[in-house]
Amino acid sequence: MAISVKVMERPVGEVSYVRATLKGLALTLKHLVDPHRVTIQYPEEKWDLSPRWRGTHRMLTTEDGKAKCVACGLCPTVCPANCIKLVPGEDEVGNRYPLVFEIDEFRCIFCGYCQEVCPEEAIHLGRHYENAEFNRARFVYDLERLTAQTHPVSTLWDPADPRGE
Amino acid sequence: MPLDPMQLEPGLWPFLIATVVKMLVVFTLYMVVVAYSTLAERKVSAWIQDRHGPNRVGPWGLFQVLADGVKNFVKEESMPGDVNKPTFLLAPAIAFTMALTAWAVIPFGAPLPTPWGKVDLIVADAPIGVLYPLAITSLGVYGIVLAGWSSNNKYSLLGGLRASAQMVSYEVAMGLSVVAVLLAVGNVSLPQVVAQQQVGGWNVVLLSVAAFVFMVSAFAETNRVPFDMAEAESELIAGYHSEYSAMKFSMFFIAEYANMLTASAMFVTLFLGGWDIPFTDWDTTGPATVAKALATFAIFATKIGAFMFFFIWIRWTLPRFRYDQLMSLGWKFMLPVALLYIVIVSSGMVLLDQAGVARGSTAYRLAFLGVNVVLMGLLFVILDRGRLISPASSRLERVRLERLRAVAATRSSIAAGEVR
Amino acid sequence: MVNLTIEGRTVSVPEGTSILEAAKAAGVLVPHYCYHPGLPVAGVCRMCLVEVEKMPKLAPSCATAAAEGQVVHVFSDKALEARKGVLELLLINHPLDCPICDQAGECELQDYTFQEGRADSRYREPKRFNPVEDFGGDVLFVANRCILCTRCVRFMDDVHEAPVLCVSERGDRAMIARTGDEGLTQPWAANVVDLCPVGALVSKDFLNKARAWELDRTASVCTGCSQGCNTVLETRDNVVVRQKPRANDAVNQFYLCDVGRLDYRWMNRTDRVESPKIRMHDVLSMVDWSIAMREATRLAEGRRAYVVASPRLSNEALFLLKRIITKTGGEGVFRCATGPEAPLPGVEDLSLRADRAPNVTGAERLGFTRRDGDPFAGLRDGDLLILADEALEGLDVAAARRAGAVVVVGTTLPVGVMPHVVLPIANVAEEEGTFTNLRGRVQRFLQAKAAPGLARPSWYALADLATALGTPSDDCQLPSAAFAALAASEPAFRGLSYERLGLRGAPLADAMVGAA
Repeated sequence: MAISVKVMERPVGEVSYVRATLKGLALTLKHLVDPHRVTIQYPEEKWDLSPRWRGTHRMLTTEDGKAKCVACGLCPTVCPANCIKLVPGEDEVGNRYPLVFEIDEFRCIFCGYCQEVCPEEAIHLGRHYENAEFNRARFVYDLERLTAQTHPVSTLWDPADPRGE
Repeated sequence: MPLDPMQLEPGLWPFLIATVVKMLVVFTLYMVVVAYSTLAERKVSAWIQDRHGPNRVGPWGLFQVLADGVKNFVKEESMPGDVNKPTFLLAPAIAFTMALTAWAVIPFGAPLPTPWGKVDLIVADAPIGVLYPLAITSLGVYGIVLAGWSSNNKYSLLGGLRASAQMVSYEVAMGLSVVAVLLAVGNVSLPQVVAQQQVGGWNVVLLSVAAFVFMVSAFAETNRVPFDMAEAESELIAGYHSEYSAMKFSMFFIAEYANMLTASAMFVTLFLGGWDIPFTDWDTTGPATVAKALATFAIFATKIGAFMFFFIWIRWTLPRFRYDQLMSLGWKFMLPVALLYIVIVSSGMVLLDQAGVARGSTAYRLAFLGVNVVLMGLLFVILDRGRLISPASSRLERVRLERLRAVAATRSSIAAGEVR
Repeated sequence: MVNLTIEGRTVSVPEGTSILEAAKAAGVLVPHYCYHPGLPVAGVCRMCLVEVEKMPKLAPSCATAAAEGQVVHVFSDKALEARKGVLELLLINHPLDCPICDQAGECELQDYTFQEGRADSRYREPKRFNPVEDFGGDVLFVANRCILCTRCVRFMDDVHEAPVLCVSERGDRAMIARTGDEGLTQPWAANVVDLCPVGALVSKDFLNKARAWELDRTASVCTGCSQGCNTVLETRDNVVVRQKPRANDAVNQFYLCDVGRLDYRWMNRTDRVESPKIRMHDVLSMVDWSIAMREATRLAEGRRAYVVASPRLSNEALFLLKRIITKTGGEGVFRCATGPEAPLPGVEDLSLRADRAPNVTGAERLGFTRRDGDPFAGLRDGDLLILADEALEGLDVAAARRAGAVVVVGTTLPVGVMPHVVLPIANVAEEEGTFTNLRGRVQRFLQAKAAPGLARPSWYALADLATALGTPSDDCQLPSAAFAALAASEPAFRGLSYERLGLRGAPLADAMVGAA
């Protein structure tokens, strides 16, 4: 197989290195003096999250500060990622209450099914995404941690208002 | 004993003390400037790319350098197995030291009057002058070559080899371009070069081809884009310093910026009038004052800053050359141009001398200016057809092109079995 | 026999059968609440209304006898509409607290509402409220969830013949109540929890423990007494959380006594022997199964086997022990705890039996002697004492010192005896096997959870032990194979196999005909 050589004839204007260099320098200088800053300056500015943004969970509480959860077991059942651990039991007055309620936020895929299925409107996903920790174990949120979260909760998709307007 | 205000007190001790003080001041300033030039690089690159650059540590990220320094000091020093240990340890030290020493002969301001006499703002007014930085900076390549060789890593080795080949190639062009300046000055002492420009006008105008060759060579000598073949990360990971970490890596890093600074200072001294303040004679005539010393130092710093900025600006504009392009530019273009230019400059000087035109006169200057304008025009308009970079890819004559095309067509048809 | 058509399917049923039962025979389930095959027909819930052609009104299928030539439509628009109305009315006062209701997931109200009910309620007024009441025994009464089907009342009246429940008040104030203060403390009373189609009567033992849909269910046999009631073991995460009756007309119909119902916790014991051990320098050390077996072989050399077995072992395990006894010319004994008998009056031959172990009959049939008082009476000096799942609790073990060597095949270590070899075995919930009940009915139980550590099923460990002691038992490499070997060598078990037994069991060849 012979080697076939593709021979090009370049236009004069394009083979000038000096001219191209000057053009490039002009372009970079233009950006230097007149920056087209389009990025959000993250820690100072923050993007407005959609009301349906699904971030880390939050457990809502009753007026007396107790989690609304009644340990019905629907969220661990519906959870496609199996990230919710629930051990039902009773609280001090004998009402059904979760003895253990843990969400592994690493395992979670933030589908929002738990919020959708919750009959007590207790577990919610939150409009929150700043979750850095120093330790993997800290990503398993227990009931105390979930109730202590204060970020706004996400709203569910409303079929009557499909575009969230 | 009453002192002559224009002379430093004679004797060894005053000289020694003044020199040590100058060394300390220069070294300190130099290190600070080197450190902040890394920040400047990051900031300028960020602005060019529509970003903000470091802005977390201190106001506008000004303390970023400190943070980086602390980080590099406390990072783990890794030592790969099977490296040549003494050389591996020595290499960054060589690179670092050589980058620092080159500064000794560069004058950075008008003389400073002190209670003990007039002090020249130059660490060492060595008689060999311009040869000294050339020699020292070429020693700096040993740091890179040794680092590449001792790392026991093929990428490091290739990086070191490239660096040395590149240095040798461009050293020639650089040296020859300096010859033109020395011809015009008639001396190798850098203060003399500055003095000549104060009288006879900046060399960048009168010897612009030499300035151009020197500038391009300076980029190559400092391993900066577009000639940073030694650490071409797309091919060689990080080149010669792939295996280095923490402070050892930091020393290479400092050396790179120190080299940039030295190259800038050399360019400023040789072609931009050194510490000369343009369009005024105030700085060169009359008695030395503190104000003059400070003003000239400031203008020197400004010039260096501008050239440093140019370094950075180029880096974030141009892509890296291919290695063959680098070599062909060095040997096939820069060297002939520099050689030819020496011939032209020396012939011009002889001719003008014969014609009785006094050196430094307006006619003399205009003649040189004219020659340079013509030469630059030739260089940029006529020669610049791709030959600058790579003669192999330059424009072909039409006849030859068509012959080549015919050959290619025949070959491919034979390969396809159409002709037998 | 009468022939009729239900939902287009022709069935032939005996005269007097209700349409509901006939529909079951045709493979059609008519929704119902108050009807239960074990209870008298009440016809109060009106849920089983079906359309019968040529009848002017919808007929309650539980109380309407099937007749020749009837054409029944269970899912006609008319029937569906009627049942939808019934459901809506039932839900008027139902609290819809499914999230905290233990019945959720196995609730007939949920199922039928989902199947045929309305999507929403038109009732806007406040719901009736009654407090939760402790009915005694294992039963908690959540009055709000009650749909007044009266299954519980009828069970206590007609089956248990202890009329402690009644419907008190009338109209919309009607509710189930206790007639006195006695409450549901009768030995079979907790069956009302199973009978309740909704979550009104719930088990205190199971309260808030698990959700119905999380449970794995395994057919088993109750180990509480020698009646051998069929049960379902419900496990979650390898833990038995509940035992419920499994219908078997020949044994227990639909019922399970409270003792048997709550007799499951020992299956979850965590202080089990988890690996084979042998005695070395008077300390038990964990070893491999093969090393333990070699040690057993060494100890058994020239010794007579004296087996103290537990009547909680399966027929297969006892059979393999018998092989060892026969080989060494030894002797097998067992002891059995006893308690008061507690019959369920409404069902013939169903009782909590005095012998509180499931396989007394099996042990006796396989030649083990019952020695309740002193099981070591026949132990001679130097015998090889094999303690098979017998923890020796409450016994004077001084006599056991006569033994030359002690091999323990059990789930836990025996009290007061230092064994030479310990072979860990699985308990009833962790292995497969059969029990023989007091009427000679052989019934299978299945594996519900995993055995801990290196423990092996008893038939597996004992087959290996029998081989190690000189009786090759390679024919027992599966529980079914062990049972086949048993059936082949024991005349009483002749003709039986796991296939034959199924999940309802079969009587021994010489069992009393007509007895359960």
